[in-house]
Amino acid sequence: MDLDKAMTISARGMDVETTRLRVIAENLANQDSTGSTPGADAYRRKTITFENSMDQTLGASTVRVKQIGTDASEQQLRFDPSNPAANKDGYVKQPNVNSFVEVMDMKEAERGYNANLSVMQATRDMLTRTIQLLK
Amino acid sequence: MDPSSIPLFNLAERRLAWTNQRQEVLAQNIANVNTPHWQAKDVRPFAAALDNATGVTLARTDAGHLAGTLDTGAQSLLTPAVGVHAPDGNAVSLDEQLTKVADTATQQQIATTLYAKYLSMFSLALGYGQ
Repeated sequence: MDLDKAMTISARGMDVETTRLRVIAENLANQDSTGSTPGADAYRRKTITFENSMDQTLGASTVRVKQIGTDASEQQLRFDPSNPAANKDGYVKQPNVNSFVEVMDMKEAERGYNANLSVMQATRDMLTRTIQLLK
Repeated sequence: MDPSSIPLFNLAERRLAWTNQRQEVLAQNIANVNTPHWQAKDVRPFAAALDNATGVTLARTDAGHLAGTLDTGAQSLLTPAVGVHAPDGNAVSLDEQLTKVADTATQQQIATTLYAKYLSMFSLALGYGQ
């Protein structure tokens, strides 16, 4: 039934936004994680992409996580000779996490989640009204 | 007497089927609000779907003929992209889609209310009222 399908599609939409929020949480939690050996790379920011996929069992196209990758952008150096990750000149590589970017992404994920939730509520109301015809 | 042969019930049933399908298509759009290159879809307007359903169809003159798989009158179609595309090529406007969801829910409510009302009139005529 189409309304059931709509519920499942919305649930998948909420699922991917939750995964996105998890990635953002990882990035924010690791925004100060430097390496442990001299000259080692610090934490690399993770990225997430979505794609549309045809679900054969459901008979409808849904959304899924395409890939969780890493941000290859350059890591900035900070002078901190006492850090175990400091190279021979005393510079430490810093994670390429920008908390402003992450917070904006978080808002976007929240907005997507809410939109899916609204659709789910509307669908559920429609389903309830149809069932009430039996009364 | 088959209740679905009564025009109003028949119409309400089609309307419900149409709102169900539309809700599915809109749910797809909203689930893909962050998918690159996703274009928003919508179903054909109800009036157009209705015209189509009452139009010319293939006749089944033999029991062995297969029923057609095309043209149920309400398949999803791409809507012309309005508004701006995001840099990743996504063209879903969340506000527009949510407005459509609300609109579909209202139309569904109208159809179910009318159906229930008409049914209660039958009950009244049959003496089941009050």
